[in-house]
Amino acid sequence: MASRRKLLLKIIILGDSGVGKTALMNQYVNKKFSNQYKATIGADFLTKEVMVDNRIVTLQIWDTAGQERFQSLGVAFYRGADGCILVFDTTSMNSFASLDAWRDEFLIQSSPKNTENFPFVVLGNKIDLENRAVSTKRAQKWCQTKNNIPYFETSAKEAVNVEQAFETIAKSAIALEKEEIYNDFPGDIILDRDNKPNNGAACNC
Amino acid sequence: MNCVSDYAHSNEYNSFRSSVPLKTIIVDPDSSKGWKIYDSGPRSISTPLIFLPPVSGTADVYFKQLLSLGAKGYRVISAEHPVYWSVREWCEGFRRLIDYMGFYKVHIFGASLGGFLAQKFAEHVSSSRRVISLFLCNTFIDTSVFSYSESASLFWMLPSVVLKKMVMRNFNTSDVDSHIVDSIDFMVEKLDSLSQQDLASRLTINCVHSRVNPEKLSYVRMVTIMDVFDECALSTPVREKIYDCYKNAKLAHLKSGGNFPYLSRSDEVNLFLQIHLRTFEGTYLSASDNKDCSLS
Repeated sequence: MASRRKLLLKIIILGDSGVGKTALMNQYVNKKFSNQYKATIGADFLTKEVMVDNRIVTLQIWDTAGQERFQSLGVAFYRGADGCILVFDTTSMNSFASLDAWRDEFLIQSSPKNTENFPFVVLGNKIDLENRAVSTKRAQKWCQTKNNIPYFETSAKEAVNVEQAFETIAKSAIALEKEEIYNDFPGDIILDRDNKPNNGAACNC
Repeated sequence: MNCVSDYAHSNEYNSFRSSVPLKTIIVDPDSSKGWKIYDSGPRSISTPLIFLPPVSGTADVYFKQLLSLGAKGYRVISAEHPVYWSVREWCEGFRRLIDYMGFYKVHIFGASLGGFLAQKFAEHVSSSRRVISLFLCNTFIDTSVFSYSESASLFWMLPSVVLKKMVMRNFNTSDVDSHIVDSIDFMVEKLDSLSQQDLASRLTINCVHSRVNPEKLSYVRMVTIMDVFDECALSTPVREKIYDCYKNAKLAHLKSGGNFPYLSRSDEVNLFLQIHLRTFEGTYLSASDNKDCSLS
């Protein structure tokens, strides 16, 4: 066990149907974009190896169906998530209004150890379109009220800010993981965490 | 047999044993040799998913998959082979089994030795393209990784106890969670139930030098490779070799799970299996009778 354990980060993308979750994932992993819309059924995932802070990390990115009838994916889907990407469509007020519900759904289903500092990012997608309905200011304001979630305005079509958004979530997921490892050491002075000592290996119980 | 592990007297296992009968199907001239089969899910499906156990396992090690996926409308079958001493003999035996059961094309899930045999079978029948998809779990493409090929020719005469020790060496029980401990307990029981001939023949196939020729597998429509990021019997280079072979494979990594994630992380494994099989839903190659392919 001398070598540093390989790190796998599970990232979940949530948001209303049609906001571009699959397109964002495909742009990030495969550098591809298709204008054709095809509803995601249930869920799908892609993996990508990236270098973050001089460390090779495997991102397992889960794309979900925004449609209601596919939403009950069960705990296996959310279990062990390290980060969550909330997506809305900057041309659709409704999709922005749903962010609260998606965030709540995620926190309830995955019940992370650390609800306060759990890594989220919010993406306002489709900024390549002209009929904008949600202002930058408004989106930023919402993010501030939720413990300063980082906010990016993206275009999966034109590959704007996609890379940066995924990098940010990966970095904060790693930071959280590190924090949890440090909390393992005896004599730790941070007392406001769970009483039970936890490390990455035991997080699936 | 004396069952002591938590899994063996869990309600889930009992429900499996009382709802899915164990059948023996004889496909060899020697009538003492039979495949042990559990068959779950709709009989109308003739392109099922067939599970092949690892060295230490019996057909019931997949009870969590058979119960859950069977209930969701997938035809799932676990098949444990009789004593075969070579890969070729195994492939012929497996072909006769699926012929007998009336399947022309199948999806295969294989763990460790089971995964290796699944690939060898896909290679064996490459001209008739009988393998639709492969789901490979903690497995390898080349037996030389075990560096036993010299002594493998003597396994047939080694006492059971020695063979069991060879297998159990890989079962790491330190620093793991309770699900993994339970999965190991259950597998040790399964290992104990195997005869000397069973175990010696499996280890022989596992260790006599042989490798998969991935070029012959290019016809397989979909490959998912599952592995765990915690401790398991296979080293990282071995796992990376298999990724290289299947460039287009889906990589279903688990953060942890040990050697037997289909037991210790069954709900996650089942989710990955559904995503794998869903590619074929609604086509003539589907392993399920679902019209609506939701994952719920």
